[in-house]
This record gives sequence, C-alpha cells and structure tokens, in this order.
Amino acid sequence: MTRTAILIACGLIAGPILGGLVSGMDRILTARMQSRIGPPLLQPFYDVAKLLFKESLVVNVWQVFCAYCYIAASSIALVLFFLQSDLLLILFVQAVGAVMLVVGALSSTSPYSHIGAHRELLQILSYEPLLVLVVVGFYLETGSFKLTSIYAWREPLLLKLPFLFIVLGYVLTIKLRKSPFDLSTCHHAHQELVKGLLTDYSGPFLALTEIAHWFEVILLLGICSLFWATNWFGMAILLVATYFLEVLVDNITSRMNWRWMLSYVWGVGLTLSLVNLIWLHQG
Amino acid sequence: MDMRAVLIALLVLAPLIGAVLCTFLRTQAVRSAIVLATGAILVVSAAFLVPLTPFKLSLASVFGLDLHRIVQVADFILLLIILYYGFKHRHLAIIALGLFQVAMLVTLEFFLVSGPTVYERVNCDQLSLMMVLIISIVGSIICYQAIPYMREHEHHYQVAPSRQPRFFFVMLLFLGAMNGLVLFNDLTVIYFFFEVTTLCSFLLIGHDRTTIATQNALRALWMNSAGGAAFILGILAVYRETGTLELQNILLPGLAGSGIYLLALALLCVAAFIKSAQFPFQSWLLGAMVAPTPVSALLHSSTMVKVGIYLVLRLAPGFAGTFLSQSVAVFGAFSFLAGAALAVGQSNGKKVLAYSTISNLGLIFACAGINTAESMIAAMLLLMFHAVIKALLFLSVGAIEQRIASRDIEDMRGLYAVMPVTALITVTGVVMMIMPPFGVLLSKWMAMEAAARNLYVIIMIALASALTVMYWARWAGTLMSDPFAGRFRPERQPVLTWLALGPLCAGGAALSVFAPWLYMGLIQPVLSGSYTASYILKAGVLENAYGAFAILPMCAVALLGLVVAVVALKRAFKSRIVPAYMSGLQTGQPFFFQGPMNQPVKAEARNYYLDSIFGEKRLTDWVNLGGGILLTLILGGAL
Repeated sequence: MTRTAILIACGLIAGPILGGLVSGMDRILTARMQSRIGPPLLQPFYDVAKLLFKESLVVNVWQVFCAYCYIAASSIALVLFFLQSDLLLILFVQAVGAVMLVVGALSSTSPYSHIGAHRELLQILSYEPLLVLVVVGFYLETGSFKLTSIYAWREPLLLKLPFLFIVLGYVLTIKLRKSPFDLSTCHHAHQELVKGLLTDYSGPFLALTEIAHWFEVILLLGICSLFWATNWFGMAILLVATYFLEVLVDNITSRMNWRWMLSYVWGVGLTLSLVNLIWLHQG
Repeated sequence: MDMRAVLIALLVLAPLIGAVLCTFLRTQAVRSAIVLATGAILVVSAAFLVPLTPFKLSLASVFGLDLHRIVQVADFILLLIILYYGFKHRHLAIIALGLFQVAMLVTLEFFLVSGPTVYERVNCDQLSLMMVLIISIVGSIICYQAIPYMREHEHHYQVAPSRQPRFFFVMLLFLGAMNGLVLFNDLTVIYFFFEVTTLCSFLLIGHDRTTIATQNALRALWMNSAGGAAFILGILAVYRETGTLELQNILLPGLAGSGIYLLALALLCVAAFIKSAQFPFQSWLLGAMVAPTPVSALLHSSTMVKVGIYLVLRLAPGFAGTFLSQSVAVFGAFSFLAGAALAVGQSNGKKVLAYSTISNLGLIFACAGINTAESMIAAMLLLMFHAVIKALLFLSVGAIEQRIASRDIEDMRGLYAVMPVTALITVTGVVMMIMPPFGVLLSKWMAMEAAARNLYVIIMIALASALTVMYWARWAGTLMSDPFAGRFRPERQPVLTWLALGPLCAGGAALSVFAPWLYMGLIQPVLSGSYTASYILKAGVLENAYGAFAILPMCAVALLGLVVAVVALKRAFKSRIVPAYMSGLQTGQPFFFQGPMNQPVKAEARNYYLDSIFGEKRLTDWVNLGGGILLTLILGGAL
C-alpha cells in the first residue's frame, strides 16, 4: 500500500520535473546546434510559472475543461506506467489526453485552432497504430502486456525488436512535435499557423497543456527505456542517444505536409513493424 | 402453467398483440398507451427471465396446436408476402430468391425431414438472455422516443391520413420477432423469425413512400432475401450432415472435419454477414437512412444487424480451430478497417453512424473468428455496449435533425449554443465510444489483446481504431465549437425524448462500471461449455496471464479527473471571455475579422474529411472487391 502511494507520488513529481529538465536541455542543445548560447536550463520552469500567474482569458469555457482533462489523462498515464500496469491501458489513457487537447482546440472559433486541431488528429492517426504495434511486439516477445513481466525479462528487448525501436522513434518525433512532423503546433517561432492547435489556449491553461506535454514526453521516454530495461547504464545511453537524434533530426529537416506524413509514416512504420513482428512470430 | 413458457409467450406475442391493436385503434393517445404498455410488458418479462436462466423447454404445442405446424404455415405465408412485394415492384431478384426459398423449404419440410427433429424447442441461456434484455429494453426505449418523433415527422411532412398505425405495427412486430429469434433453438423457427425481420426492415425503410425510400427498401429486401436463401441452404446442409435441426446440437465437437458441415456453417455465416451489412453488402444499411430516425436506431442498435452477430457467436464453437474461423477473423477485421476509413470521409452524421456500426460489427465478427475465450468475451461486451450507445447516438441525431433540419456535421457547429443538453448527451455518447473507462473501449482493448497473435488481424485493428478516434473526436469538437453563449439554458424537448436519451446515456455509463459483474454473470456461463474462461475478478480488476483490465480503479480515477475538470469549468465562467484569435483583427463578433475598408469578413474553417483518400467514391469499389474476395475465401476455404 505504501509502495503504491510512493509510486503514485513519484509519477506525479517525476513527470513535470524531469519533463521540464528534458525540455530545458532540448532548448540548449538546439541552440548550440544553431550556434546560439540558448536559455538557462531552468527556463521552461520560469516560462510555465509566469504563464500560471497570468490573468485567465477564455474563448470558450469548454476549452478549460479540455485542458484539465488533458493534464489529468497524461498524468494518470504516467502514474500507471510507474505502477507497472497494462501497457495498452497506458496508451489508451494517453490517447484520451491527446484527443481532449484537440477537442479543446476545435471548441474555439478561430481558423488557426481548427486547422491545427485537424492536423493534430492526422498526427494521432499516423502514430497511434504504430504505438499499438510496438506494444504487440513486446507481447509477442515477453508473452504479456503487463509492465511487470516486461521488466522481469532477462534480455534487452532492443536485440529482438530493433525495427520496432525505429518505429517508436517515428512516434517519438511526432509526439515531441519535432520537424518534419511539427504540423499542428511547434516549439519554434516559425509556424504558419501562429501557434496552431494551441493558439487559443492562453495564460494558466496554456501552462497546463505545457505541463501535460512534459508528462507525455516522460511517458514516451519511459516506453523507449523498456527496450533496454536490464541495466541502468544501457538504458541511459539508449535514452540520451535517442533524444540527441531527435534534436538533430529536428534541426536538419524541414516541415512537410500531412499527406506526406501519413503516407510516409504508415508506409515505413507498418513495413518495419510487419517485418519485425513476422520475425518474432516465426521465431 | 409453466412460468417460463408464459414469459416466452409474453416476450414474443405481447409485441404482436400490441402491433395488431395499433392498427385497429387509430387514435394517437390510445396508440401511445399501447406502445408504452407493450414496452413495459417486455421490460418486466425480460427482468423476470433473469433469475430463471438458463433453461430449456420442449414447447411442443401452443394453445393445443402443434408449434411446428404453425411455423410451417406461417413460413409459407411469409414467403408469399415477400413474393407479393417482388411481383408488385417487378423486382426480378426478389422473385427469384423468394421462389428459391420456397423450393428449399418444400424440400426440407416434405422430402428431407422425417419424424421429430427437435426435442428442445426453446433454449434460453445467458447469451439469449443478454439479447432479450437488449432487445426489450433498448428496443422499447426507441419505440418510446418514436412516439413524439413520428408526431413531429408527420406534422412536418403533412402526412394525412396518419400512417403511424402501420409504422408502430411494424416496429412492435420487429421486437417480438427478435425475441423469438434469440430464444428458440429450432432452426426452422429461427429461419421464420429471420425472414420476419427481413420483411419488417423492408416495410420500415420504405415507410415514407418516396421514390428513394421504395428503392432502398427493395434493395434491403433483395439483399436480405439472398441472406435468407443462404440461411435455408445452410440449414439443409446442416441437416444432411447432422440429422438434427437443434441449434445447440449441430455444434457437437468432432464434426468440424467434414467438408459439407463446414460449408453449411459458412453459408449460415454469410447469411449473418448480410444481415449485419458487412462489406460488400453495406449498401442496404446505408440506404436505410432514408427512413425516420427511430428506424435507423432500431436497425443499428438492438435489432436486425445484431441478428448476424448473435448467429455467428452461436456458431463460433462449431468452427473453432478451422480455416473458416481464421478467414472470418480476417473478414471481420477488414470490415472494421474499411468501415472506419469510410466513416472518416463522411460529413453526414447519420452516415458516420452507419459506417461506425458496420465497423464495430466487423470487430465483433473478428473476435468471433479469433475464437478464444478472451475474444468471445470481448465480442459479447462490445455487442452490449454498442447496442446501448449506438441507440443513444441515433436518437440524439434524430432530435438534433428535427431541430436544425440537417444531419450534416458541419451544420452542428456550435450546437451547444442551440441545444446544450442534447449536445452534451451526444458528446457523452461519443466519449463513451472511444475513451476509457467506458465499455466500448474496454472491449476493444480486450479484443486487441486477444488478437495480438494474429498479425493481419491486429494490424487492421490497430489502424482501424486510430481512424475511429479521428472521426469521433472531430464530431465531438464540432458540437462544442461555440461562440460564448452566456448562461446555460436547457432546451425544451418532449418528455419522452428526455426519457429515452437520459436512461440510455446513464445506462451506457452504468454498464461500464458493472462490466466485471456482467462478465461473471452473463458471459462466463455461456463460455464455460466450449472455452476455458481465463479472467479472475479481484477488487474490480479483471486479470489473466497477460493482461490486467483495471475497470473499477479506472472508473474511480476517471471520476476524480472529471470532478476536477468540472470544478475548473465552473470557475472558468468567471474568467474574462474574449473572442478567438484572428491575427489581432478581431471585431468582437465571433467568426468575423476586420477586413479591408474596415468591413467585417467572415473567417471559415471546415473540418477535414480527407475526401481524396477516404471518400466513398474512391473507396467503395475497392472495399466491395476486398469484401467479395474474403467472402469467396470463407466459402471456398470451407470446402
């Protein structure tokens, strides 16, 4: 019982703190790649704190409801991950958050929000099946959807699921809102849609969506870490390498349109998944 | 007299009596009273059936007449009625299929069968009970809502003299036939009720008597007649192989090896697919949209399409482990995917619902084809949740359509400002279709875990469920999209509409909470004969070797999240309300920005329907081809 309580608390605290730190390092790394110095490591926390104390301006009260649902779902998903629950359940809860963010954007009357929301739906459409197939890969190898069994597995899963790890990389790029998939909204100030899906979230509610996003990032990095769950050292190297690659890709590619995203991500992602799954299935 | 026989008689005959009364007593008030009373009788009888289940009855005679003889005569009369409509509309396919069925029935009844073939005519187990509960409760609620709906409908189209007596005659008859179909064990009786549902749907779809209504009704009739033909052919083959006409006894183990036996089951499955409007037979269900909305609600949720599901779930143990089973799984998953893809391309709300029905039924068939305990559990849960929530969504769209005179999703933009309660109920319905902790998602989750070893099936399911999220989320967002409307003022609706929407919405949520006990009480006993059921219930969590479905904890956490969000919502009303962002050129009016010469210009953004990828024109032919190929595979592979 106390163990459960501690794990829940860990999930709730780790999400925002680690998420903010990852975001800070992301900014510094990006700045260095662009020959800038970049903000201090804690800048994301300063930004969010500032937003939290701004006056709340609302275009539609349902947007507030949706922002709270988004942060509730993404924090619950991370807590479930810490509690080592069923992986598919975690994905579904995470999807609730993603969908509520879209519904909130649709509830505004601004065309920027609308187009952003529809692009976000297409992003969800692109990565969601792949995420399910990655989890199916875990199941075919370990015989269970439960995280407890996946952690109990003796060998690093990366050796058996290399292609699925690449597929997860695509998912991560979309989820982190990195180029070439930063269609719906973007961290950088070069969006043709203003702030896209987040245009009409403002002040404290924008802060909530940012914190919720941190929860999601940590959850996805957690799923990445499952590929090398046998020792801490391997896990750390895998995560750092993956994130570095994400930032690199973000800086050397340009934004594409949704048609390209859907056909490319489904084409490459499904092929790689199928190859890896058939291999597991026959083995 | 036996209580059980009385209940069976009430469930099948009370709607028939109500139906006949409706045609003779032609005043509005009396008719409403009859419909209300019939619904009440059905619900109460179904409730009394709960503690008595399971049981079997021989029921050789009714009121001193041989039941078999009655059904025989009724069967021929029914086929003659269908032939009459075939000749009346000069529809060659209907005539040919009708004559074929008469010939087959004569062969079966007079040449093939000798001596008694059925000893236990009624078999009421938990699956039948589940169906009876769905039909009686959801079906009655739909008939209740039809009372105000049809009054408004006839007022709007200025129908005189009223054709409501005929409408309610068919609606009630439909419920009785459905109850009969799921309670009887005798294949000839099932075939009779199967044909009654075909005829009823024909009459209901053609109710408005417009050219398009007649055309679509005829299409439904010929397609379902083809289903009837496959069904009677299947019965013939089954009888030749097994020498029995009892549904329970044709599934004895050890028969699966024989080619003709599997072909017979495959024919029965094809009949089921036609009833459930699976690809390439979807056009009859899409055409059924022309009927008044309660008809669509009835066809899509508790009757008609559920006949196919019921049959395949019954037959599934008979073909477990065969190629037939695998091809049914692939066929179902294909329908799930194709239906979801086509739904994405639609802006017509009723069409989205129709494709989503086809798609969800496909998932149920896929589960039946996977044919393990886990997948069958998922199938039965989905059957139940889909019935309740789809009825809710259809009735909501019906209510919306009568108010805004459109069924297009684009026209429902900002509906929250016009009819807040209905909009909220619709959004709740949508949320119950795609989100945890609600039942549809729970069953989808179970289906995914059960299908994970079947690569083609799981890939199609993964793609389809992402598409499903897309079309539902888009719709929910559109309903809430709204310039700030100030205070919350509930709209006015007939009492019976609220009495239909409220309980369906609450029921959908409550059933999700009680899912673990539904599993223990209704589903596990059905499966215990043929499968080894595997879930253990512990503190509201259904758990097996590879998955944990934390139903109650999820409900509790979701409730907590909801409370927080609602509190935030209430506080948000006090915030400063501002117009949406328009590049700094807001005019204060929603949707408008300040254009050249200081003129207000309307900014518009429509939803993405991705017509170039998911449009009907682009996909339908390919999807029909795919469905056709898979059907050939099912029939050919069974040989």
